Amino acid sequence: MYFTVKVDEEKCIGCKLCILTCPEANVIKLTENNKVCIDTNRCKGCFLCVSVCPKKALEKGNM
Amino acid sequence: MSLRNITPVKEFEDILPEEYKELVNNGPHSKNKSIDDLGTFKEIVEQHPHCAGCGVSLGIRLALASLPSPEDSIVIGTPGCSFFGLSQSALNYSNTAFGNQSAVASGLKRMLNIRYPDKHKDVMVMVGDGGIADIGLDLTLHSWFRKEKITTIMLDNEVYGNTGGQESGMSKKGTVLNMAPKGKNFDKIPVFDLAKTSGCDYVAKVTVANPKKLGQVVKNAILVAREVGPTYLQIFTPCPTNMKFPPDQTIKIAKEASKDSYSFEEFMTDKAADYLKSLK
Repeated sequence: MYFTVKVDEEKCIGCKLCILTCPEANVIKLTENNKVCIDTNRCKGCFLCVSVCPKKALEKGNM
Repeated sequence: MSLRNITPVKEFEDILPEEYKELVNNGPHSKNKSIDDLGTFKEIVEQHPHCAGCGVSLGIRLALASLPSPEDSIVIGTPGCSFFGLSQSALNYSNTAFGNQSAVASGLKRMLNIRYPDKHKDVMVMVGDGGIADIGLDLTLHSWFRKEKITTIMLDNEVYGNTGGQESGMSKKGTVLNMAPKGKNFDKIPVFDLAKTSGCDYVAKVTVANPKKLGQVVKNAILVAREVGPTYLQIFTPCPTNMKFPPDQTIKIAKEASKDSYSFEEFMTDKAADYLKSLK
């Protein structure tokens, strides 16, 4: 089983805190409408982004 | 590496991987990107074998994203955890024998000054705490005494991560680690204070919990090293695997450390302060 992170697009405010705490490069990116999207194939599942999200828009999940 | 060096010839364009094409089209080369633009451009670090939640890889990623000119930067490393991430970057990277990084960097900087007299080539040493505080301490100190214009960045995870969690000179006193079952006997080696008194013109201490400050400090250090003299940065990068905490606590541990032992400190000489002011 692989762990990954899911984004709730309604709650995301595009503050980029998750982008600044992810140890993996190029995994979390900003889309054109100022929301984040996650490359689930390359996420290692450390959940650092979940722990810093102020709006709880990111959730732990399985692949 | 400059954009000209990585741009492929037309015949090979279609067989190259997607990531490579993105780096050429949307990379940070000569576009003056900073840490605030992260997430909107392709970073120069690629997939690396660091553990989940690794502080060292976060430190490398943030430091490389805030380089003033990535096309003219050369990074010198040494064996250790930092080697994994740095060797996957699209920078000129050279790995040396353990502890020799500052000597190699001094030689490279002198050679590049002769070869490119009209250009600034930023030579950076980016290694872990073992490479600077334990094995390479003499060469690091001597590069500062000689006033070599290089930037030294320590990614301090307070442990020998790559070999399985042995005690390092930068571990805290009393920490129980492999090879230190009764707790470490002596204090952290004060490399930060040594740097201040050994001739560094810009010295700073940050944690990965404060990315914006980290980016600003890396930029300042590299700019000062271009004209004034040697610079030193110490970045706290906690290690979840060997310090034995869950990987989602890395930022929390770094934040706690920034309140006591790793509070933000910046020291610069008058010459460096004047130079930074003249740039603004």
